[in-house]
Amino acid sequence: MDLFANLAHGFAVAFSPINLLMCLIGALVGTLVGVLPGIGTIATVAMLLPITFGLPPVGALIMLAGIYYGAQYGGSTTSILVNIPGEATSVVTAIDGHQMAKQGRAGPALAIAAIGSFFAGCVATVLIAVLGAPLTKLALAFGPAEYFSLMVLGLIFAVVLAKGSVLKAIAMIVFGLLLSMVGSDIETGASRMAFNIPELADGLGFATVAMGVFGFAEIIRNLDAGAEMNRDLVQQKITGLMPTKKDLIDSTPAILRGTVLGSILGILPGGGAVIASFAAYTLEKKLARNPSRFGRGAIEGVAAPESANNAAAQTSFIPLLTLGIPPNAVMALMVGAMTIHGIVPGPQVMQKQPDLVWGMIASMWIGNLMLIIINLPLVGIWVRLLRVPYRLMFPSIVIFCAIGIYSVNNAPVDVILAGVFGLVGYWLIKHDFEPAPLLLGMVLGPLMEENLRRALLISRGDWTVFLTRPLSAVLLAIAAFLLILTVLPFLRAKRDEVFTESEN
Amino acid sequence: MADTMGHSAATATRNTSVALGFCLLALAPQIFEFIWSIGTIFGWGAGRGPATVLISHATALVAGAPVALIGSIGGDTKKASSDVLLALIYSYPLFAVAILTIFMTIRSAQDYVGGIVLMALALFALWASSDLQGMRGFSFGAGTAPRMFGGLLVALGAGIALTGLLSSGPAMAHYSWRGPLFVMASIVFFALAIRPLGVVVSAFVSFLIAAMGTHETRWIETVIVGACLTLGCALLFPYVLGLPMPMFPRFLAQ
Repeated sequence: MDLFANLAHGFAVAFSPINLLMCLIGALVGTLVGVLPGIGTIATVAMLLPITFGLPPVGALIMLAGIYYGAQYGGSTTSILVNIPGEATSVVTAIDGHQMAKQGRAGPALAIAAIGSFFAGCVATVLIAVLGAPLTKLALAFGPAEYFSLMVLGLIFAVVLAKGSVLKAIAMIVFGLLLSMVGSDIETGASRMAFNIPELADGLGFATVAMGVFGFAEIIRNLDAGAEMNRDLVQQKITGLMPTKKDLIDSTPAILRGTVLGSILGILPGGGAVIASFAAYTLEKKLARNPSRFGRGAIEGVAAPESANNAAAQTSFIPLLTLGIPPNAVMALMVGAMTIHGIVPGPQVMQKQPDLVWGMIASMWIGNLMLIIINLPLVGIWVRLLRVPYRLMFPSIVIFCAIGIYSVNNAPVDVILAGVFGLVGYWLIKHDFEPAPLLLGMVLGPLMEENLRRALLISRGDWTVFLTRPLSAVLLAIAAFLLILTVLPFLRAKRDEVFTESEN
Repeated sequence: MADTMGHSAATATRNTSVALGFCLLALAPQIFEFIWSIGTIFGWGAGRGPATVLISHATALVAGAPVALIGSIGGDTKKASSDVLLALIYSYPLFAVAILTIFMTIRSAQDYVGGIVLMALALFALWASSDLQGMRGFSFGAGTAPRMFGGLLVALGAGIALTGLLSSGPAMAHYSWRGPLFVMASIVFFALAIRPLGVVVSAFVSFLIAAMGTHETRWIETVIVGACLTLGCALLFPYVLGLPMPMFPRFLAQ
């Protein structure tokens, strides 16, 4: 079996001391970020991007991946114990998880969250390994027209899965596409919308915009409410981590369903961990014989979303590794990390960089194992971290972000640009625009433009090429179908229901 | 009765202030260039002087643009200057929107203002890419894609603004000034200070500036934490991670 040979090779790479260390650092930082509210995964990965300059590419990507799935674990801890979701992905976990903690069952809730996450992580690791090769073969059959249509589909997915108004989500994507046009034109080299500012000639840095919109904007927004968040810590000691037999029986089907749903939503472009956890919670509530238990400490309400977000965090690597298309903002930053190290993401990565791909896949499984060890016995330490008041935390985050952006290019202008995008992000939040589609648009912009131009050049200006090539036509048809579905009133109501779940 | 009248008066004043805001937005690039040009008096940066900027934009807005508009209707395809184009592509449509705003009932200010500002951004992008080459036969020029997406964003912004007029929704959210101001000040200070003053000074001072973003700051602990953080950063970034950045102020290092 090719698969086992590949996985064995991956484990050999991942078990080298330096990669194990990187994996551990990633998992630790991820947990830390997940625990602390007010700093998200996207900002952290953006902040740590320059740090990976000095590392070998495999280690760098292993660390960054660890941060992403590690944050899913950490987020659940604070959701359950303190009712403060450290990450958007564990918002729904807080509903039932904190109720369980109040009833003195914090231990089982934490354990089930960790077990669910671990199980989902294992399944997702295998899934990446299994789906990787066939999808790569499919990708090789893709021409520019197909690539363009696929990206359109991805962006439409992002719209469908985004919160709130469809129109606003599309506008954010187009705004992102427009931002990606700043800088030199790929084909003619003409400077576009750069206003003769030399730092803009190379385009807006993706990390700069991400840090502004997700890092600085988030801080400014949090300061609105006053720095003192009320944190009613569950003070009693957490006793008895082991869940009872009944807990295990109740949560097993929920974990399975959450894993499947999360894996699917993770692969879809535009999806990701946030939507997966929301959807899994809603599904559990729909399927339950007695839905009124939800919100009062139902263990399925912890198991399903936690499995789903971890599965999705990992399967979202599939489109990145096989097609070279980042399905969400964190993956877009991974593209940045890969390009820093001279790796062009796409179907050829699997063949040309087997060390990187399989090493990363294997490290995910190891990382999940480490996370269980980090999270369960050490839970007390993580909770103690929450006592650090926000008034001391936010200036530190500002400084770390500033140094981080500066060191990407050693350019002070980048720091100011990130600040400006912080204000833009603050404005977007105030007007109820989602920043995530903006980032996705910005990442896919250059790829889309290039493939659009190439497709039209090959077809000698014939726009019907997107409809006459069968694969491309199918992809566009799915996109159109999805968009129509979302706009239909019946389904919109359903979609809104999923998102309002967290608010009540 | 008095109640309803008071209510309508309140909406009216709000509409005028929104319209005035749009007028300001319509002139924002010109005002920005003017403020920027003041620097040239002191020899900072290159560009036109403030007087030239003022005259050129004023004539473009008052005379140049209308002439170009009439000329284009008459079939005259003379190349307009960039200032005239800015007035034509960006400022005039926004002035038109501002005038229309006065007569509208805004049901959701959040959506309406959000849509119009996005539209303004798109119009600005259209202007910024107006000097780029368009389609050459069937091949894309440098300006084709920006124009395509700019046009699309204008339409989407208008659509969002329209939903703000047609369906009721939330009003404008409350903005606070303290957090954004001090966080921004801290970021700008860091950007300006990192090259001449080095990591140690700029990180510490930026930390203190950012800490002013909330009134809950207690200075003693802030100074202690700031000092520790600065020390940590000074060790972590240049030494452990090997990123090239100056540690101490330039005049001390020499």
